Amino acid sequence: MLTVGATLFLAGPAVLAGCTLPARAPEGPDPLEAPALRAEADAALATGMARSAAHADPVLAAAARALAADRMAHAAALRAELRRARPGPAPHGASPPVAPPPVDPDLAGARSTLTQTVHAAQDEAAGLVMTLPGYRAALLASVAACCASHAALLS
Amino acid sequence: MTPSPDHPRPDLETYRGERTPAGPEMSPSRAGRRVPVDALQGALAAEHAAIWVYGVTAAFVPSTLAERLDAAATAHQARRDATERMLIDAGTPPVPPEPGYRTPEPVTDAASALRLAITAETDAAAAWRSVIERSTADPDLRGAALDALTGAAVRAVRWRAAVGGTPLTVPFPGMP
Repeated sequence: MLTVGATLFLAGPAVLAGCTLPARAPEGPDPLEAPALRAEADAALATGMARSAAHADPVLAAAARALAADRMAHAAALRAELRRARPGPAPHGASPPVAPPPVDPDLAGARSTLTQTVHAAQDEAAGLVMTLPGYRAALLASVAACCASHAALLS
Repeated sequence: MTPSPDHPRPDLETYRGERTPAGPEMSPSRAGRRVPVDALQGALAAEHAAIWVYGVTAAFVPSTLAERLDAAATAHQARRDATERMLIDAGTPPVPPEPGYRTPEPVTDAASALRLAITAETDAAAAWRSVIERSTADPDLRGAALDALTGAAVRAVRWRAAVGGTPLTVPFPGMP
């Protein structure tokens, strides 16, 4: 009971802060915009790589498919949080989607590209963990840890 | 690992709630930082359990995995020591390890031992993610918690690969 009471008490200011958000003119893009775009681009890249490696390197193709699925889940969760924080249509002037690089026909190059991709995603998410409020920091922490686990499998 | 008949222990997945002491959610440390004491105690309890688990698994896994198991145990011991120091700095006595833990299934071979290791890492990931969620934007504390969460997620993936489970990864390690 004590724990529940404390939780409700702590939740109060957060809820109030959430209600005041739309009234405040948002300045600049939401910090979750960049990781959301990156997650979408990574998912597209990994999906393409899974297709092109399907016959020549089924192990790499499976790793790419798994990465695509997890990055899609990241994109969905980040988009959900973006919509929660700023309901309404997506703001104009947001950064354009990151174009996925063309899939490398050389499979060794493809594995290296995928590894660099997950390292970059891990670094970006880990940086945001240090500054964002609790819920968002925890979300990005899970994204970073997931990317690290893909990097470990690809190495 | 045998449950103590006099004091049946909860599963690894659930024991933390019982050990979380009632008390202030945040305590100032000596350095003036505010730390989420309850979440840190939960993380420490998960580290105690993980250290115990790696003691059990060592007897069952093939020698090819011995080095990685040792590294995992060492990582959890270092994390336990660092977490105890943080709690002491915050003026809170660190929770001790349990005398015994009940596992979700009997450990009888390499596969069940690795599944137990996955459970321990999953618990640790959840506990450290909770530290991040309940902490202020303190780079030292969040950096340590993120390292712990990431390490747990990577080890869980390696054990899943060793035991042949799919999918190997989860999209949100530590998320309940």
